[in-house]
Amino acid sequence: MDETSDDELVAAVAKGDERSCRVLMDRHLARIVALGRRMLGNQADAEEVAQEVFLRVWTHAERWQPGRAQFGTWLHRVAANLCLDRLRRRRATVDIDEMPDLESGAPGPDRQLEESELSARVEAALQLLPERQRAAVVLSHYQGLSNTETAEILEVTVEAVESLLSRARRQLRTSLATERDELLRSREMSA
Amino acid sequence: MQKEITLKRFAGIVDAYGASPRRWPDDERASAEALVAASAEARALLAEAAALDGVLARAPVEAPSAALAERLLAARPRGVAAVPSPKPQAGFIRSLIEAVWPYGSPAVPAGALAASIVLGVTLGSISDISVLTQETAVTASVESGTEDSLVALALAEPAWPEEWMQ
Repeated sequence: MDETSDDELVAAVAKGDERSCRVLMDRHLARIVALGRRMLGNQADAEEVAQEVFLRVWTHAERWQPGRAQFGTWLHRVAANLCLDRLRRRRATVDIDEMPDLESGAPGPDRQLEESELSARVEAALQLLPERQRAAVVLSHYQGLSNTETAEILEVTVEAVESLLSRARRQLRTSLATERDELLRSREMSA
Repeated sequence: MQKEITLKRFAGIVDAYGASPRRWPDDERASAEALVAASAEARALLAEAAALDGVLARAPVEAPSAALAERLLAARPRGVAAVPSPKPQAGFIRSLIEAVWPYGSPAVPAGALAASIVLGVTLGSISDISVLTQETAVTASVESGTEDSLVALALAEPAWPEEWMQ
């Protein structure tokens, strides 16, 4: 496990050190792609956003000031903003037929939910959340950021983050009720 | 300092953050965990939140492609350009030459010095020199002030990470 700090790695990246680039990517790339995937709903867009984030790191590495901010939090901030920008552009051109539909693929009660189908339905439910609620859930629940960090990234208060999370989880509870019941049932059967 | 929490507040916490204590607010976590240990209602709320967490955990996740990593490595910085060494401070005589001959290159100091002497003789007045000296001092002072303010600006500049958004 490389214990070099992110700040030190960024400084080395600015000097063109390939190994530091690799370590920084090993540490953060998968998380940033995961953020993009949950915000945007597909892997290709998620990788495009992650690429844009890291290209900015490469470009601005020599201007990074150690101690000014947590590098990981800044990556999340850049990635979240790029995702929200994409969602805003996408909203301007969205076709209603392209919206994820949770009803058409609902599993019947007599069959066990396939794992991949469940994943797809959770992803679709996330995509149906309003953008800022989705961002709050992704940053806080999936990325594990503190409510303070999430509030900082979304430029709202901690109380507002909590409100976004509550509303998001309420909608998810409703839209994924069938899936939740099915999952609980399958756990009981396997217990 | 831990806040005391009510069952209603606990319901609000799991409603927003789910069932995992690590996601709960730091200043309420211990009190919330104590409430779970003490209250069957709190445990019921926790189980409800855990069921939703279980479903949310099934959201798809894919590792970054090898192609993405390759593209990023290919685009990495290739080392910094050589930083030009700071321009040496002009000496007093050189400052005089520059003040006398501001638009020309004093590439040949001896020639420049000769030119300034000829010019000085032509003007025939030592007062011109003192004026020029004064102008030089003002120029140096302005340059020094500009450098100081640029350094101050760079140090105080709070928004560099915002550039990452652009």
